[in-house]
Amino acid sequence: MRVPIRMIGLATTFFWIFLIAFFVSAVYSLKDVHFDFGDPQTNLTSDNKFILSLPVSITNKGFYNIDSFNMSTEVLDREGLSIARGSTFIPIIAKNGSVTVTHNMTIDINDLLERYQDYLFNDTEVKIHEIVGMKIGDMIPLQASANFSVPWGAPLYNFSLGEVEYAAYNLTHFRAVVPISFENHAPFDVVGTIQTRMNNSAGEVIGNGQTNIEAYHNSPYNGYLELYVPITGITESGRFEIYFQTPLFNNEKPLVIRYG
Amino acid sequence: MADTKNDSKKRVRNFTFKALKATVKGVLCYVFYFVLWMFVAPIAEIIPGFQMMVETFVIVYIIFIIIGELTSGTIFQYCFNVARALFVIGYLIFSLNGGIFGLTLENISFMVDLRLFLAIAMLLGLLGLAKSVLQAVNYMSEKAEYTSI
Repeated sequence: MRVPIRMIGLATTFFWIFLIAFFVSAVYSLKDVHFDFGDPQTNLTSDNKFILSLPVSITNKGFYNIDSFNMSTEVLDREGLSIARGSTFIPIIAKNGSVTVTHNMTIDINDLLERYQDYLFNDTEVKIHEIVGMKIGDMIPLQASANFSVPWGAPLYNFSLGEVEYAAYNLTHFRAVVPISFENHAPFDVVGTIQTRMNNSAGEVIGNGQTNIEAYHNSPYNGYLELYVPITGITESGRFEIYFQTPLFNNEKPLVIRYG
Repeated sequence: MADTKNDSKKRVRNFTFKALKATVKGVLCYVFYFVLWMFVAPIAEIIPGFQMMVETFVIVYIIFIIIGELTSGTIFQYCFNVARALFVIGYLIFSLNGGIFGLTLENISFMVDLRLFLAIAMLLGLLGLAKSVLQAVNYMSEKAEYTSI
Protein backbone atom coordinates (compact mmCIF):
# COMPACT_ATOMS: atom_id res chain seq x y z
CA MET A 1 0.00 0.00 0.00
CA ARG A 2 2.98 2.28 0.52
CA VAL A 3 3.79 2.56 -3.18
CA PRO A 4 0.33 3.77 -4.29
CA ILE A 5 0.29 6.23 -1.39
CA ARG A 6 3.69 7.55 -2.41
CA MET A 7 2.47 7.84 -6.01
CA ILE A 8 -0.57 9.81 -4.88
CA GLY A 9 1.75 12.03 -2.85
CA LEU A 10 4.06 12.62 -5.80
CA ALA A 11 1.21 13.33 -8.18
CA THR A 12 -0.39 15.74 -5.69
CA THR A 13 2.90 17.57 -5.13
CA PHE A 14 3.54 17.82 -8.87
CA PHE A 15 0.08 19.21 -9.58
CA TRP A 16 0.30 21.65 -6.65
CA ILE A 17 3.60 23.00 -7.94
CA PHE A 18 2.19 23.24 -11.46
CA LEU A 19 -0.97 25.00 -10.26
CA ILE A 20 0.86 27.47 -8.01
CA ALA A 21 3.48 28.20 -10.68
CA PHE A 22 0.73 28.82 -13.25
CA PHE A 23 -1.23 31.07 -10.92
CA VAL A 24 1.79 33.09 -9.83
CA SER A 25 3.08 33.50 -13.40
CA ALA A 26 -0.39 34.52 -14.60
CA VAL A 27 -0.64 37.16 -11.86
CA TYR A 28 2.94 38.27 -12.55
CA SER A 29 2.36 38.60 -16.28
CA LEU A 30 -0.58 40.95 -15.67
CA LYS A 31 1.88 43.74 -14.99
CA ASP A 32 3.18 43.35 -18.54
CA VAL A 33 -0.17 44.01 -20.15
CA HIS A 34 -0.47 47.62 -21.25
CA PHE A 35 -3.44 49.58 -22.50
CA ASP A 36 -3.10 52.80 -24.43
CA PHE A 37 -6.07 54.94 -25.29
CA GLY A 38 -5.73 57.33 -28.21
CA ASP A 39 -7.56 60.58 -28.78
CA PRO A 40 -11.28 60.10 -29.37
CA GLN A 41 -12.46 60.79 -32.92
CA THR A 42 -15.94 61.84 -33.99
CA ASN A 43 -17.73 61.00 -37.21
CA LEU A 44 -21.18 61.12 -38.76
CA THR A 45 -22.83 58.09 -40.35
CA SER A 46 -24.88 58.24 -43.52
CA ASP A 47 -28.06 58.05 -41.42
CA ASN A 48 -26.85 61.05 -39.41
CA LYS A 49 -25.83 59.30 -36.27
CA PHE A 50 -22.90 60.46 -34.25
CA ILE A 51 -20.01 58.01 -33.92
CA LEU A 52 -17.49 58.34 -31.17
CA SER A 53 -14.36 56.29 -31.91
CA LEU A 54 -11.71 55.55 -29.36
CA PRO A 55 -8.49 53.92 -30.57
CA VAL A 56 -7.30 51.32 -28.06
CA SER A 57 -3.93 49.66 -28.21
CA ILE A 58 -3.26 46.54 -26.12
CA THR A 59 0.26 45.21 -25.71
CA ASN A 60 0.62 41.80 -24.15
CA LYS A 61 4.14 41.10 -22.99
CA GLY A 62 3.01 38.55 -20.42
CA PHE A 63 3.59 34.80 -20.41
CA TYR A 64 0.13 33.85 -21.64
CA ASN A 65 -2.28 34.70 -24.40
CA ILE A 66 -5.19 36.94 -23.57
CA ASP A 67 -8.44 35.45 -24.81
CA SER A 68 -11.91 36.87 -25.24
CA PHE A 69 -10.94 40.47 -24.70
CA ASN A 70 -14.15 42.42 -24.53
CA MET A 71 -14.60 46.12 -23.99
CA SER A 72 -18.09 47.49 -23.70
CA THR A 73 -19.25 51.00 -23.02
CA GLU A 74 -22.69 52.21 -22.18
CA VAL A 75 -23.57 55.88 -22.14
CA LEU A 76 -26.43 56.72 -19.81
CA ASP A 77 -28.41 59.87 -19.36
CA ARG A 78 -28.85 61.42 -15.93
CA GLU A 79 -31.83 59.17 -15.22
CA GLY A 80 -29.87 56.07 -16.00
CA LEU A 81 -31.46 55.33 -19.39
CA SER A 82 -29.17 54.06 -22.09
CA ILE A 83 -28.23 56.54 -24.78
CA ALA A 84 -25.58 54.55 -26.58
CA ARG A 85 -23.81 51.26 -26.37
CA GLY A 86 -20.60 50.10 -27.94
CA SER A 87 -18.72 46.85 -27.77
CA THR A 88 -15.36 45.64 -29.04
CA PHE A 89 -14.33 42.03 -29.00
CA ILE A 90 -10.88 40.61 -29.71
CA PRO A 91 -10.80 36.80 -29.71
CA ILE A 92 -7.10 36.50 -28.92
CA ILE A 93 -4.13 38.70 -28.13
CA ALA A 94 -1.09 36.50 -28.45
CA LYS A 95 1.75 36.72 -25.95
CA ASN A 96 4.38 39.22 -27.02
CA GLY A 97 1.77 40.61 -29.38
CA SER A 98 0.07 43.92 -29.79
CA VAL A 99 -3.38 44.75 -31.10
CA THR A 100 -4.90 48.10 -31.96
CA VAL A 101 -8.63 48.39 -32.33
CA THR A 102 -11.13 51.19 -32.59
CA HIS A 103 -13.86 51.13 -30.03
CA ASN A 104 -16.93 52.67 -31.65
CA MET A 105 -20.06 53.99 -30.09
CA THR A 106 -23.01 55.19 -32.08
CA ILE A 107 -25.07 57.89 -30.45
CA ASP A 108 -28.44 58.94 -31.73
CA ILE A 109 -28.20 62.59 -30.74
CA ASN A 110 -31.70 63.27 -32.04
CA ASP A 111 -33.17 60.62 -29.78
CA LEU A 112 -31.30 62.02 -26.78
CA LEU A 113 -32.27 65.62 -27.47
CA GLU A 114 -35.88 64.65 -28.09
CA ARG A 115 -36.00 63.18 -24.62
CA TYR A 116 -34.15 65.97 -22.86
CA GLN A 117 -34.32 69.31 -24.57
CA ASP A 118 -32.07 70.92 -21.99
CA TYR A 119 -29.18 68.83 -23.34
CA LEU A 120 -29.47 71.19 -26.31
CA PHE A 121 -29.05 74.36 -24.29
CA ASN A 122 -27.27 73.52 -21.04
CA ASP A 123 -23.90 72.01 -20.39
CA THR A 124 -24.38 68.98 -18.20
CA GLU A 125 -22.88 65.53 -17.92
CA VAL A 126 -23.53 62.01 -19.13
CA LYS A 127 -22.71 58.86 -17.21
CA ILE A 128 -20.50 56.22 -18.70
CA HIS A 129 -20.40 52.60 -17.60
CA GLU A 130 -17.27 50.87 -18.85
CA ILE A 131 -16.55 47.15 -18.64
CA VAL A 132 -13.33 45.50 -19.76
CA GLY A 133 -13.13 41.71 -19.59
CA MET A 134 -10.52 39.19 -20.61
CA LYS A 135 -9.37 35.67 -19.94
CA ILE A 136 -5.77 35.02 -18.98
CA GLY A 137 -4.18 31.75 -19.97
CA ASP A 138 -7.55 30.26 -20.92
CA MET A 139 -8.32 29.82 -17.25
CA ILE A 140 -8.64 33.05 -15.29
CA PRO A 141 -11.41 35.44 -16.35
CA LEU A 142 -10.78 38.97 -15.21
CA GLN A 143 -13.15 41.91 -15.38
CA ALA A 144 -12.78 45.56 -14.55
CA SER A 145 -15.67 47.98 -14.52
CA ALA A 146 -15.98 51.66 -13.81
CA ASN A 147 -18.66 54.28 -13.67
CA PHE A 148 -17.77 57.83 -14.38
CA SER A 149 -19.27 61.02 -15.71
CA VAL A 150 -18.10 63.02 -18.67
CA PRO A 151 -19.13 66.57 -19.43
CA TRP A 152 -21.73 67.11 -22.08
CA GLY A 153 -21.31 70.29 -24.08
CA ALA A 154 -24.59 71.73 -25.28
CA PRO A 155 -24.68 72.46 -29.03
CA LEU A 156 -26.84 75.53 -28.48
CA TYR A 157 -25.47 76.73 -25.17
CA ASN A 158 -26.86 80.03 -23.97
CA PHE A 159 -29.16 80.34 -26.98
CA SER A 160 -30.78 83.74 -26.94
CA LEU A 161 -32.58 86.18 -29.17
CA GLY A 162 -31.75 89.86 -29.05
CA GLU A 163 -33.99 92.87 -29.25
CA VAL A 164 -36.33 92.81 -32.31
CA GLU A 165 -35.65 95.64 -34.70
CA TYR A 166 -38.36 96.67 -37.13
CA ALA A 167 -37.81 98.48 -40.39
CA ALA A 168 -40.37 99.44 -42.99
CA TYR A 169 -40.49 96.95 -45.86
CA ASN A 170 -43.62 98.02 -47.77
CA LEU A 171 -46.92 99.64 -47.00
CA THR A 172 -48.31 96.62 -45.20
CA HIS A 173 -45.27 94.86 -43.75
CA PHE A 174 -42.28 95.47 -41.55
CA ARG A 175 -39.00 93.68 -41.84
CA ALA A 176 -38.14 92.36 -38.38
CA VAL A 177 -34.57 91.47 -37.61
CA VAL A 178 -33.87 89.25 -34.60
CA PRO A 179 -30.26 88.73 -33.51
CA ILE A 180 -29.39 85.15 -32.56
CA SER A 181 -26.47 84.09 -30.43
CA PHE A 182 -25.28 80.87 -28.86
CA GLU A 183 -22.12 78.89 -28.23
CA ASN A 184 -21.57 75.45 -29.63
CA HIS A 185 -19.98 73.46 -26.81
CA ALA A 186 -20.73 70.09 -28.44
CA PRO A 187 -18.04 67.90 -29.95
CA PHE A 188 -19.68 68.25 -33.37
CA ASP A 189 -20.48 71.12 -35.70
CA VAL A 190 -24.01 72.44 -35.84
CA VAL A 191 -24.97 72.97 -39.46
CA GLY A 192 -28.61 73.38 -40.42
CA THR A 193 -31.49 75.77 -40.29
CA ILE A 194 -33.44 77.63 -37.67
CA GLN A 195 -37.11 78.17 -38.41
CA THR A 196 -38.96 80.78 -36.43
CA ARG A 197 -42.60 81.55 -36.00
CA MET A 198 -43.48 84.91 -34.49
CA ASN A 199 -46.70 85.15 -32.50
CA ASN A 200 -48.24 88.32 -31.18
CA SER A 201 -49.76 88.73 -27.73
CA ALA A 202 -53.08 87.31 -29.01
CA GLY A 203 -51.29 84.16 -30.09
CA GLU A 204 -51.69 84.82 -33.80
CA VAL A 205 -48.84 83.84 -36.09
CA ILE A 206 -47.67 87.05 -37.67
CA GLY A 207 -44.50 85.92 -39.38
CA ASN A 208 -42.22 83.09 -40.35
CA GLY A 209 -38.51 83.17 -40.87
CA GLN A 210 -35.70 80.85 -41.59
CA THR A 211 -31.95 81.15 -41.48
CA ASN A 212 -29.05 78.86 -42.08
CA ILE A 213 -26.55 78.33 -39.32
CA GLU A 214 -23.06 76.97 -39.34
CA ALA A 215 -21.55 76.84 -35.88
CA TYR A 216 -18.30 74.98 -35.43
CA HIS A 217 -17.70 73.09 -32.25
CA ASN A 218 -16.28 75.07 -29.35
CA SER A 219 -17.02 78.36 -30.97
CA PRO A 220 -19.63 81.09 -30.53
CA TYR A 221 -22.23 81.86 -33.16
CA ASN A 222 -23.80 85.21 -33.86
CA GLY A 223 -26.35 85.73 -36.60
CA TYR A 224 -29.79 87.10 -37.20
CA LEU A 225 -33.21 86.11 -38.42
CA GLU A 226 -35.34 88.04 -40.82
CA LEU A 227 -39.13 88.00 -40.71
CA TYR A 228 -41.72 89.98 -42.61
CA VAL A 229 -44.59 90.84 -40.35
CA PRO A 230 -47.84 92.68 -41.05
CA ILE A 231 -47.89 96.12 -39.45
CA THR A 232 -51.37 95.58 -38.09
CA GLY A 233 -50.46 92.34 -36.32
CA ILE A 234 -47.50 93.64 -34.33
CA THR A 235 -47.93 93.90 -30.59
CA GLU A 236 -45.46 95.03 -27.94
CA SER A 237 -45.10 91.54 -26.54
CA GLY A 238 -45.44 88.06 -27.90
CA ARG A 239 -43.41 84.94 -28.39
CA PHE A 240 -41.12 83.23 -30.83
CA GLU A 241 -41.41 79.53 -31.55
CA ILE A 242 -38.10 78.21 -32.72
CA TYR A 243 -37.40 74.96 -34.55
CA PHE A 244 -33.91 73.63 -35.20
CA GLN A 245 -33.27 71.37 -38.15
CA THR A 246 -29.84 69.83 -38.49
CA PRO A 247 -28.68 66.44 -39.74
CA LEU A 248 -28.03 65.41 -36.14
CA PHE A 249 -31.09 66.70 -34.36
CA ASN A 250 -34.50 68.26 -34.85
CA ASN A 251 -36.73 69.50 -32.12
CA GLU A 252 -40.35 68.38 -32.45
CA LYS A 253 -41.40 70.65 -29.63
CA PRO A 254 -40.51 74.27 -30.37
CA LEU A 255 -38.35 76.35 -28.12
CA VAL A 256 -40.49 79.25 -26.94
CA ILE A 257 -38.88 82.60 -26.22
CA ARG A 258 -40.97 85.57 -25.16
CA TYR A 259 -40.28 89.07 -26.31
CA GLY A 260 -41.40 92.49 -25.20
CA MET B 1 19.90 -0.01 33.37
CA ALA B 2 22.10 0.14 30.26
CA ASP B 3 19.04 -0.61 28.05
CA THR B 4 17.08 2.28 29.56
CA LYS B 5 20.03 4.62 28.97
CA ASN B 6 20.33 3.43 25.38
CA ASP B 7 16.58 3.86 24.86
CA SER B 8 16.59 7.43 26.08
CA LYS B 9 19.65 8.20 23.96
CA LYS B 10 17.87 6.75 20.94
CA ARG B 11 14.79 8.79 21.70
CA VAL B 12 16.78 12.01 21.99
CA ARG B 13 18.56 11.19 18.72
CA ASN B 14 15.25 10.42 17.03
CA PHE B 15 13.69 13.61 18.27
CA THR B 16 16.71 15.66 17.21
CA PHE B 17 16.55 14.09 13.76
CA LYS B 18 12.82 14.81 13.53
CA ALA B 19 13.33 18.39 14.70
CA LEU B 20 16.09 18.83 12.15
CA LYS B 21 13.93 17.39 9.39
CA ALA B 22 11.02 19.61 10.46
CA THR B 23 13.29 22.67 10.45
CA VAL B 24 14.64 21.86 6.98
CA LYS B 25 11.11 21.30 5.62
CA GLY B 26 9.86 24.50 7.24
CA VAL B 27 12.78 26.52 5.88
CA LEU B 28 12.36 25.02 2.39
CA CYS B 29 8.68 25.85 2.48
CA TYR B 30 9.46 29.42 3.52
CA VAL B 31 12.09 29.79 0.79
CA PHE B 32 9.56 28.51 -1.77
CA TYR B 33 7.06 31.09 -0.53
CA PHE B 34 9.72 33.81 -0.51
CA VAL B 35 10.71 33.15 -4.14
CA LEU B 36 7.10 33.06 -5.31
CA TRP B 37 6.31 36.22 -3.38
CA MET B 38 8.88 38.17 -5.38
CA PHE B 39 6.74 37.57 -8.48
CA VAL B 40 3.43 38.35 -6.83
CA ALA B 41 4.66 41.38 -4.85
CA PRO B 42 3.90 44.04 -7.52
CA ILE B 43 0.29 42.92 -7.73
CA ALA B 44 0.02 42.32 -3.98
CA GLU B 45 0.82 45.96 -3.32
CA ILE B 46 -2.39 46.90 -5.10
CA ILE B 47 -4.61 44.38 -3.31
CA PRO B 48 -5.13 45.31 0.33
CA GLY B 49 -4.97 42.38 2.74
CA PHE B 50 -3.55 39.98 0.17
CA GLN B 51 -0.14 39.77 1.81
CA MET B 52 -1.66 39.11 5.23
CA MET B 53 -3.93 36.45 3.74
CA VAL B 54 -1.01 34.61 2.11
CA GLU B 55 1.27 35.03 5.13
CA THR B 56 -1.35 33.60 7.50
CA PHE B 57 -1.76 30.64 5.16
CA VAL B 58 1.99 30.04 4.94
CA ILE B 59 2.50 30.35 8.72
CA VAL B 60 -0.27 27.88 9.55
CA TYR B 61 0.88 25.52 6.77
CA ILE B 62 4.49 25.56 8.04
CA ILE B 63 3.28 24.96 11.60
CA PHE B 64 1.34 21.92 10.37
CA ILE B 65 4.43 20.67 8.54
CA ILE B 66 6.60 21.06 11.65
CA ILE B 67 4.08 19.41 13.96
CA GLY B 68 3.54 16.62 11.40
CA GLU B 69 7.27 15.97 11.27
CA LEU B 70 7.70 16.07 15.04
CA THR B 71 4.88 13.56 15.47
CA SER B 72 6.09 11.32 12.65
CA GLY B 73 5.97 7.62 13.40
CA THR B 74 2.76 8.08 15.39
CA ILE B 75 -0.88 8.21 14.36
CA PHE B 76 -0.87 11.93 15.21
CA GLN B 77 1.28 12.63 12.16
CA TYR B 78 -1.59 11.50 9.93
CA CYS B 79 -4.13 13.35 12.05
CA PHE B 80 -2.16 16.55 11.51
CA ASN B 81 -1.82 15.79 7.81
CA VAL B 82 -5.59 15.41 7.58
CA ALA B 83 -6.00 18.67 9.50
CA ARG B 84 -3.55 20.35 7.11
CA ALA B 85 -5.45 19.12 4.04
CA LEU B 86 -8.74 20.32 5.56
CA PHE B 87 -7.15 23.65 6.44
CA VAL B 88 -5.96 24.11 2.84
CA ILE B 89 -9.45 23.39 1.47
CA GLY B 90 -11.21 25.56 4.05
CA TYR B 91 -8.80 28.46 3.84
CA LEU B 92 -8.90 28.58 0.05
CA ILE B 93 -12.70 28.60 -0.01
CA PHE B 94 -12.82 31.25 2.71
CA SER B 95 -10.10 33.54 1.39
CA LEU B 96 -11.07 33.30 -2.28
CA ASN B 97 -14.69 34.00 -1.41
CA GLY B 98 -15.96 30.91 -3.18
CA GLY B 99 -13.91 31.65 -6.31
CA ILE B 100 -15.20 35.11 -7.14
CA PHE B 101 -12.63 37.59 -5.97
CA GLY B 102 -13.74 41.20 -6.04
CA LEU B 103 -11.86 44.38 -5.34
CA THR B 104 -12.62 48.06 -5.69
CA LEU B 105 -9.82 50.54 -6.23
CA GLU B 106 -10.86 54.17 -6.33
CA ASN B 107 -13.62 54.11 -8.94
CA ILE B 108 -12.73 50.85 -10.63
CA SER B 109 -14.16 47.49 -9.62
CA PHE B 110 -12.14 44.41 -10.41
CA MET B 111 -13.57 40.92 -10.48
CA VAL B 112 -11.48 37.79 -10.94
CA ASP B 113 -13.22 34.49 -11.48
CA LEU B 114 -11.01 31.91 -9.80
CA ARG B 115 -13.63 29.15 -9.67
CA LEU B 116 -11.73 26.87 -12.03
CA PHE B 117 -8.52 27.44 -10.10
CA LEU B 118 -10.37 26.86 -6.84
CA ALA B 119 -11.99 23.67 -8.18
CA ILE B 120 -8.59 22.25 -9.16
CA ALA B 121 -7.11 23.30 -5.82
CA MET B 122 -10.05 21.64 -4.05
CA LEU B 123 -9.50 18.41 -5.96
CA LEU B 124 -5.83 18.47 -5.07
CA GLY B 125 -6.72 19.22 -1.45
CA LEU B 126 -9.13 16.27 -1.43
CA LEU B 127 -6.45 14.09 -2.96
CA GLY B 128 -4.11 15.18 -0.16
CA LEU B 129 -6.83 14.38 2.36
CA ALA B 130 -7.38 10.95 0.82
CA LYS B 131 -3.64 10.31 0.91
CA SER B 132 -3.46 11.20 4.60
CA VAL B 133 -6.43 8.95 5.41
CA LEU B 134 -4.85 6.10 3.44
CA GLN B 135 -1.56 6.66 5.27
CA ALA B 136 -3.39 6.50 8.59
CA VAL B 137 -5.18 3.28 7.57
CA ASN B 138 -1.87 1.82 6.37
CA TYR B 139 -0.15 2.83 9.59
CA MET B 140 -2.85 1.22 11.72
CA SER B 141 -2.91 -1.98 9.67
CA GLU B 142 0.89 -2.29 9.75
CA LYS B 143 0.85 -1.70 13.51
CA ALA B 144 -1.83 -4.38 13.93
CA GLU B 145 0.25 -6.81 11.84
CA TYR B 146 3.39 -6.24 13.95
CA THR B 147 1.39 -6.59 17.19
CA SER B 148 -0.13 -9.92 16.06
CA ILE B 149 3.30 -11.23 14.91
